Amino acid sequence: MFIDRMVNQGNIPLVERMMKLTAKRHELLAENIANLSTPGYQQKDLDVGAFQQMLRDRAARRRAGSPGTTSFDDLDPASLSVDGSGRGMLFHDRANRSVEALMGDMSGNAMKYNLFVELLRKQYGSFDNVLRERVS
Amino acid sequence: MMNSLDIGASGLAAQRIRMDTLSNNLLNMSTTRNARGEPEPYRRRFVIFAPGQEGHPEKPGVHVAKIGLDQTPFRQRFEPGHEDADAQGYVRYPNVDMSVEFVNMLEASRAYEANITMMETSKQMLSSTLRLLA
Repeated sequence: MFIDRMVNQGNIPLVERMMKLTAKRHELLAENIANLSTPGYQQKDLDVGAFQQMLRDRAARRRAGSPGTTSFDDLDPASLSVDGSGRGMLFHDRANRSVEALMGDMSGNAMKYNLFVELLRKQYGSFDNVLRERVS
Repeated sequence: MMNSLDIGASGLAAQRIRMDTLSNNLLNMSTTRNARGEPEPYRRRFVIFAPGQEGHPEKPGVHVAKIGLDQTPFRQRFEPGHEDADAQGYVRYPNVDMSVEFVNMLEASRAYEANITMMETSKQMLSSTLRLLA
């Protein structure tokens, strides 16, 4: 399929996967914030580095293989192990909560998400130009 | 993304109930009688949070699992002229400590704000996703 080929080349699938990861991470951060006062609650997070490594490996495989045969669709951020260990054991119930760290993580994550949305928008915009047969 | 709005709402509701409980404690910090007018001081209430949404523990979020009664002993004050004083002249006052309640209120309102900010961020992320279509 032509359209399929078009949306599966370049960095579109990578950006889309990263969008999915940041959206999932936002949900987990939301859960952590909601449970700020829950005794014994273990904070959850995703291993962003591990997911990026998976994407990198897949991109390298795509470069090596024939075009159109490598898909990114099976890389699911939800499959990444949810990391329950926090940054220290300050509280007696071992729930390592820190509003500052959580809010910082959340705004950083939201900024990344918006960046990916913007990148995707630019890519789709260039499709638009192609379809209209004119330069920007 | 819609999920995070639900999660935030559950956090807001839980902190709201906590705030209600705390203000109830503060209001009744000098109450020496129960609703029937008998000399029984008010017992301090506290909320217990648990992960999961109300009625759906498997869904991410938070809910109030229980509102408990604080079993610590009542404060005793020597007021022989008081109507509710015992034979030795001591009046039993509620086991509410104002400073503890204030600290808890501060924490509850900060947690509430954190949930609000999180929901604002979710909304903004959602609207930027919708801009993909336009």
